[in-house]
Amino acid sequence: MPEIRDAFWYKNAIIYQVHVRAFFDSNGDGVGDFQGLAQKLDYLSDLGITVIWLMPFFPSPLRDDGYDIADYSTVHPLYGTLDDFKEFLAAAHQRNIKVVVEMVLNHTSDQHIWFQESRSSRDNPRRDWYVWSDTDTRYQSARIIFIDTELSNWAWDPVSKEYYWHRFFSHQPDLNFDNPAVRQQMWEVMKFWLELGVDGFRLDAIPYLIEREGTSCENLPETHAIIKELRRNLDQEFPGRMLLAEANQWPADLRPYFGDGDEFHMAFHFPLMPRMFMGLKLEDRKPITEILQQTPEIPKSCQWALFLRNHDELTLEMVTDMERDYMYDSYAHDRTMRLNLGIRRRLAPLLEHDRRRIELMNGMLMSLPGTPIIYYGDEIGMGDNVKLGDRNGVRTPMQWSSGWNAGFSTGDPENLYFPLLQNPVYGYQAVNVLSQKRSPHSLLSWMQHLIRVRRSTPLLGSGSIEFLYPANHRILAYTRQLEGQTILIVNNLSGAAQAVELDLRRFKGQIPIEMFGGNLFPRIGDLPYLLTMGPYQFYWFRLRRI
Amino acid sequence: MAEESILSDEFIRQLISVGEVDILIGIPTHNDAKTVGPAIQAIQAGLLKSFPRERAVIINTDGGSSDGTPDIVQGASISDVHRSYNGYTLRTLHAISTQYARTPSEAVAFRTILSAGELLRARACIVLSGDSCNIEPGWMDRLLRPVYRENFDLVTPTYSRHKFEGVLVTNLIYPMTRALYGQRLREPFAPEFACSGRFGSQFLVQHKWSHGDERDDPRMDLVISALAGGCRIHQSFLGVRQTVKPQSRDLVNAMRQTIGSLFSCLESTFPAWSKISGSESISTAGPEFEVSDDVLRVNRKQLKQMFSEGVAELRSILESILTPSTLENLRQSAESDEASFRVSAELWVKTVYEFAASYYKSVINRDHLVQALVPLYRGRMLTFLTENRTASSEEVARNIENLCLEFERLKPYLLELWNGRK
Repeated sequence: MPEIRDAFWYKNAIIYQVHVRAFFDSNGDGVGDFQGLAQKLDYLSDLGITVIWLMPFFPSPLRDDGYDIADYSTVHPLYGTLDDFKEFLAAAHQRNIKVVVEMVLNHTSDQHIWFQESRSSRDNPRRDWYVWSDTDTRYQSARIIFIDTELSNWAWDPVSKEYYWHRFFSHQPDLNFDNPAVRQQMWEVMKFWLELGVDGFRLDAIPYLIEREGTSCENLPETHAIIKELRRNLDQEFPGRMLLAEANQWPADLRPYFGDGDEFHMAFHFPLMPRMFMGLKLEDRKPITEILQQTPEIPKSCQWALFLRNHDELTLEMVTDMERDYMYDSYAHDRTMRLNLGIRRRLAPLLEHDRRRIELMNGMLMSLPGTPIIYYGDEIGMGDNVKLGDRNGVRTPMQWSSGWNAGFSTGDPENLYFPLLQNPVYGYQAVNVLSQKRSPHSLLSWMQHLIRVRRSTPLLGSGSIEFLYPANHRILAYTRQLEGQTILIVNNLSGAAQAVELDLRRFKGQIPIEMFGGNLFPRIGDLPYLLTMGPYQFYWFRLRRI
Repeated sequence: MAEESILSDEFIRQLISVGEVDILIGIPTHNDAKTVGPAIQAIQAGLLKSFPRERAVIINTDGGSSDGTPDIVQGASISDVHRSYNGYTLRTLHAISTQYARTPSEAVAFRTILSAGELLRARACIVLSGDSCNIEPGWMDRLLRPVYRENFDLVTPTYSRHKFEGVLVTNLIYPMTRALYGQRLREPFAPEFACSGRFGSQFLVQHKWSHGDERDDPRMDLVISALAGGCRIHQSFLGVRQTVKPQSRDLVNAMRQTIGSLFSCLESTFPAWSKISGSESISTAGPEFEVSDDVLRVNRKQLKQMFSEGVAELRSILESILTPSTLENLRQSAESDEASFRVSAELWVKTVYEFAASYYKSVINRDHLVQALVPLYRGRMLTFLTENRTASSEEVARNIENLCLEFERLKPYLLELWNGRK
């Protein structure tokens, strides 16, 4: 059994989410690849991240950006070869960067050989690998997820003349996890990549593995049983590896995915993210504190995955109608920015290119309980292009420099998988890595500093949280504590300067030390601790008894 | 020496925590524990229905309640700590309270509310009486929307009243302000109103706030400032207004607060009102006026007696205020029997105008002058009650309109008095 130096590495990780296609093109064909990604590992290492989360890179017709997998056992030729992947993985590990791979268990592409065989005839041995029905009226309680494109969760197959079940696009048939052969096969798929050395999986669309009549076909006990089985296999054969759940659910519904520490190691906290944006716009901590109050305790070995933005739309499924309307009006006044139940925009445009708000949101991302995930390009404030359709606007090439093709590719611009951003605010001439590396005050340099401070403070990964609730509701203040150490975090959600009085009497006698500059603040006494805060300012204090 | 602030340090601390708001709801109270809780619930429901995204604060200015009124208000905050409201709210809704004195004072209460509105940069302020027992959620929309969304400076209510309710308003305050300022504003002295933050701040500076005079009530001045200042004014119908406290029988104080303020404003607003003739209706949502006509018992004999005694006992004072012909007509009325008693519209209007001009000229102590009008008003009140005893609501409305027209017709008479030609 391999040695595990830190079994809980994911709790103090800084995860960087990237699509290999979007990062760096090493061969000039206009598409990023594994050799290119390997060449940019020093950049990621300098940034300070500790984990790369790779979006799907498997062979695929790419009708859903790779989430429609046609072959689980190799790399899409556009991105290189399996050997390229192995070399990238080894190079990442050399730099102490772990690699987490996106794995789509719930469904395949309709081009996958399994589905081709399954649909070929009703008596094919793989017929039962997918969910077939002679009627499209089963499982009517299951919601339709892609409401902008799909009318039903059933699609008619003209080949075998039956309906097949799909929770996402109709070209993504759901695998039948009631079939033991499917479960065994998907474990073999995971094993294949684990044996190559990947450090974990982000398991996509996990609540939907099993269907049962009369239910929402989400979060079913049978689904949890499958996860437990996968986790058991993982712990036995690959201890120290990690499973991250993508389950866009309310916190109470998410909690079972941690089980008793025997299901997922991590799960995304989906409802928190939109409420961070809402709290910022409202200049009111209420949405943030309320959702965290509703967040149940999780086993000690488990962790929330926090994010501001990712490759999908800013999902508004886990908000009320009133909140959704407010979010649309606040962040997607142009209706083309809206997709499904969400907003297809990147972090910087959402925050109107306001450096102070970008810093505040990242500050909260790094200090709330969980492991932060940075979406590629957000560390330099990249923009988006809603004209590209679907969610492609937030998946444009990484902007490395102001030179040819933003330094992303040596190919012809028209060969790029997506056009570069060229507008005066977010275009690659204005926003790129090279220029930001030269400035110690750039967003990139600031992000490096933030990550460095976060990494130097493990209690932010594992500590408890307690809110302070000062009377000024524009101030979000909390303490993070672990083993006698305390960090005090104070965030001003307002665009105006604020005064706030904090009740810190239980820390009487301790001296707050501001963690970014290292300066001492007045000792805490019996009186309310008065802080004045600039617009969108935040403080992290280490409390020391000296 | 630094000027003493009317706002306490503790109240300032609360305002700091509230921060900038869009809407401020002010509730003056004094021992209103029975009504203030439901009032706040209605306010919150109204806000969340009509202004769910706006930053709002409820501010209670309390005049020394001993029944826990401020505690009820403070316990009504909606935040991540206090969940006094069952529904869902997008943002925090603070409810704060300040006790400005041990005795109630409308002036301090309003000044505190308007000061808080200015400090918090509220776009709209609404003032609701803490003793109202039938505030409805819809009032928020009806009073606030015109200010907040339609750029009005002042919104006053109209009510559904019994035909003999608010006689001072229907027989003096309304017709006189209408004649003077040319706008048919039905409730110039309403306990509920809304105003823009801009107008509130302007009034805060303009009004001569008295120190230590608990009788001062700035509401009349507020409305006249808006009328004379060319502000955009709107009326919203609120239906029946109910309070748990009995209407004050202190007519002298009511006259001071209303007629005293009205007369006092005439001097400073002369350039505005002197050029106006006739009147026009103002923007109104709902009926301008609604009258119910169920039976109400009135002690007419007592009213007649108070009028007659007043005319006799105040003869020397009235001689310095009124013209001889007006005084003689009043004296004749005082001597008539109850059945034929009448203070006609013309006599009443001339009496009021002569009092107004004398107030301007300070022929006697102004406070005494206003007090001297009280018994004469009782005579007019008796006439109104008698004339409308069996009148339908439409007839009452028509009679009030006729009185208004008389005030408008005789306005040149006031100008002549004012300019010393009579």
